[in-house]
Amino acid sequence: MIKKTIIKETKELFRDGRIKISGIIVLLLLGVSIWISNNKYKRSNEEFISAKIAERSVWENQGEKNPHSAAHYGTYVFKSKHPLSLLDQGVDKYTGTSIFLEAHKRNEAQYSNVADQTGLVRFGELSPDFILLFIIPLLIILSGYNSFTKEKEMGTMVLLRSQGVSFSKIILGKWMSIFFPICIIITSIFAIAGVLLFNIEGYAIFSWTSLGVLLIVYLFYYAVFINIVLFVSQHVKKSGISLVILLGVWIVSCLAAPKAASNFAESKYPYPTRQEFASKIVKAKKEGLDGHDPWNKEAKRLEKEVLLEYGVDSLQQLPFNFDAYRMQKGEEHQAIVYKNHYAALKKQFEKQADTYALISIISPFLPTRFLSMGIARTDYHSHWDFADASENYRIASQKFLNDNFAKNSKFGDWDYLANENTWKDLPKFEYQPLKLITVLKQQKFSMIALLVWGILTATLLFIFKPKN
Amino acid sequence: MITTKKLTKKFDNFTALDQLSLHVNSGEIYCLLGANGAGKSTTINLLLGFLKPTSGEALINGKNVFDNNIETKKDIAYIPENLTLYPTLTAIENLDYFSGIGGQSLKKNKLESLLIQAGLQPEAFYKRTHTFSKGMRQKVGIAIALAKQAKALLLDEPTSGLDPKASNEFGLLLQELKQNNIAILMATHDLFRAKEISTNIGIMKNGKLLEQFVSQDISLSELEETYLKAMNYKELIV
Repeated sequence: MIKKTIIKETKELFRDGRIKISGIIVLLLLGVSIWISNNKYKRSNEEFISAKIAERSVWENQGEKNPHSAAHYGTYVFKSKHPLSLLDQGVDKYTGTSIFLEAHKRNEAQYSNVADQTGLVRFGELSPDFILLFIIPLLIILSGYNSFTKEKEMGTMVLLRSQGVSFSKIILGKWMSIFFPICIIITSIFAIAGVLLFNIEGYAIFSWTSLGVLLIVYLFYYAVFINIVLFVSQHVKKSGISLVILLGVWIVSCLAAPKAASNFAESKYPYPTRQEFASKIVKAKKEGLDGHDPWNKEAKRLEKEVLLEYGVDSLQQLPFNFDAYRMQKGEEHQAIVYKNHYAALKKQFEKQADTYALISIISPFLPTRFLSMGIARTDYHSHWDFADASENYRIASQKFLNDNFAKNSKFGDWDYLANENTWKDLPKFEYQPLKLITVLKQQKFSMIALLVWGILTATLLFIFKPKN
Repeated sequence: MITTKKLTKKFDNFTALDQLSLHVNSGEIYCLLGANGAGKSTTINLLLGFLKPTSGEALINGKNVFDNNIETKKDIAYIPENLTLYPTLTAIENLDYFSGIGGQSLKKNKLESLLIQAGLQPEAFYKRTHTFSKGMRQKVGIAIALAKQAKALLLDEPTSGLDPKASNEFGLLLQELKQNNIAILMATHDLFRAKEISTNIGIMKNGKLLEQFVSQDISLSELEETYLKAMNYKELIV
């Protein structure tokens, strides 16, 4: 019986010109967006590989140089685009993917994609996540808004009800007739994306598991939308009213709720301004050891402590270069300052994220959006992870350079030049994106929210049926 | 097969059906006559379980309809006044779907033979039903009833709006169904057709069954006179 309903509903859907045309348009848009995204991804991946090689080459070929000069000379680290960013670009284009690492200073990521684009970018762009998150739900609404109302309007509902069939089976048949075509289209598109990503050479971090989990998240999101669409169609008498209500649901869920949630989270836990944040760091840095200033109070205290520790009268008698040692201690103080300030900032971000996640219960769009960006490693959690990894690398690099300076020269010997092979000994920056399990732990509230939406809407659809 | 026992339906203070008791055996056609609002359609809706009775019982094959809704519906076929089919599906597809959800999985040749039995022209089998006349749709409705192998058929003014030829064909079809031992309850305004095909006739007014006859015991003119009197249309009696 369910099978008969699926066949009948599918025939009706495909014989309806509107659905056929809309379906083809959506499929084309999705195909084109995947193609555009794939090209962008390949280009970006090539740029990443060539920039990484070029930057390392610049670093390794800087010639003989004082290690601290090399520390100021600095180097760039780059965040590679995660393969699943092909499906969801998330906040990647706003956050930037390059960080300049230098002595004494933690820099922000720079060269975001949007910085290279015109103001037209504000109007949005055709990307797979736009189609998956916004357009497919519209297609579901178009497919199902009159699923029950047309039966009432035409009069077939009376004949249907007189057949002695369980209404739940009719609902299930109609549900599946909308879900199956969507499922086939989306699964095919994801499979194509998977094959494209799998075949990009020189790339090892693509995971079919992550792609599969992302697919499940989207299918669950569509299941929730189908539940809502059929519930409304079941309880409303006219198709026109059903369409208006469902478009209202779409506007609230997909457009209004994310903006309201974002405004609320930001107003409740505001970020400091960039100027305010920077000035606090400068002040905190000044309160501690400055590696460049030997007359600084903290520097003098360090000097006394070290002389006492080594039982010598002068810095020249130390078995290492005290200038470099002080430089390293200054670096360590500054690293703590950055660590504390960024930890406070991150805490504020986490409070915002938690609030945002809590509000996500008001719309099935929000938890899906968070899960999608998380699994695609294009959310703020991933950005923070990359920023923290590059800061850890910066701290380790500074220690490597200061240690080299300290070990190989004496106090006051600023003419010391490290040989050109020294730079090759500095380990390369290799960033590994967050593991899927870590992402899912971060997104547990979103998963719960989406699950609640699924259970709630299915209950409404299958339990609260119209009396007649 | 079809029984009502003191069946009553009230909508707030309005009594749509008042203590109706009737019985239709297998192989009988019972025609309910009455003006609009007499309670004919309410009776059918109660027998289908679409409405809950205020009091009394509606029984199909001895089972209470409201308590055994799904089960009793398996024994019933229903043809409303304006039978609507899925317009984008063909006659065969409509029949396949309705018989399928009714629990019958029939092959193509069986579906075709049912449509032939129902009197539909073969060239219409594979046409989408949005082009069908009411008579053609009624024939598909009969084919659905045949496919279901229903023991009881409920018809709500099935001949209204049909041309005389289509109405006659429909009457002949019902006679065939009667011979197949199906109990038929038909609500109608059509006295002539009722007299021609029925076994029993009941006249209803304001929710009450005023008169009941065995069709053979009454002539068409007597039926007409009784009906007009019952409806208080005395000035129309010739």
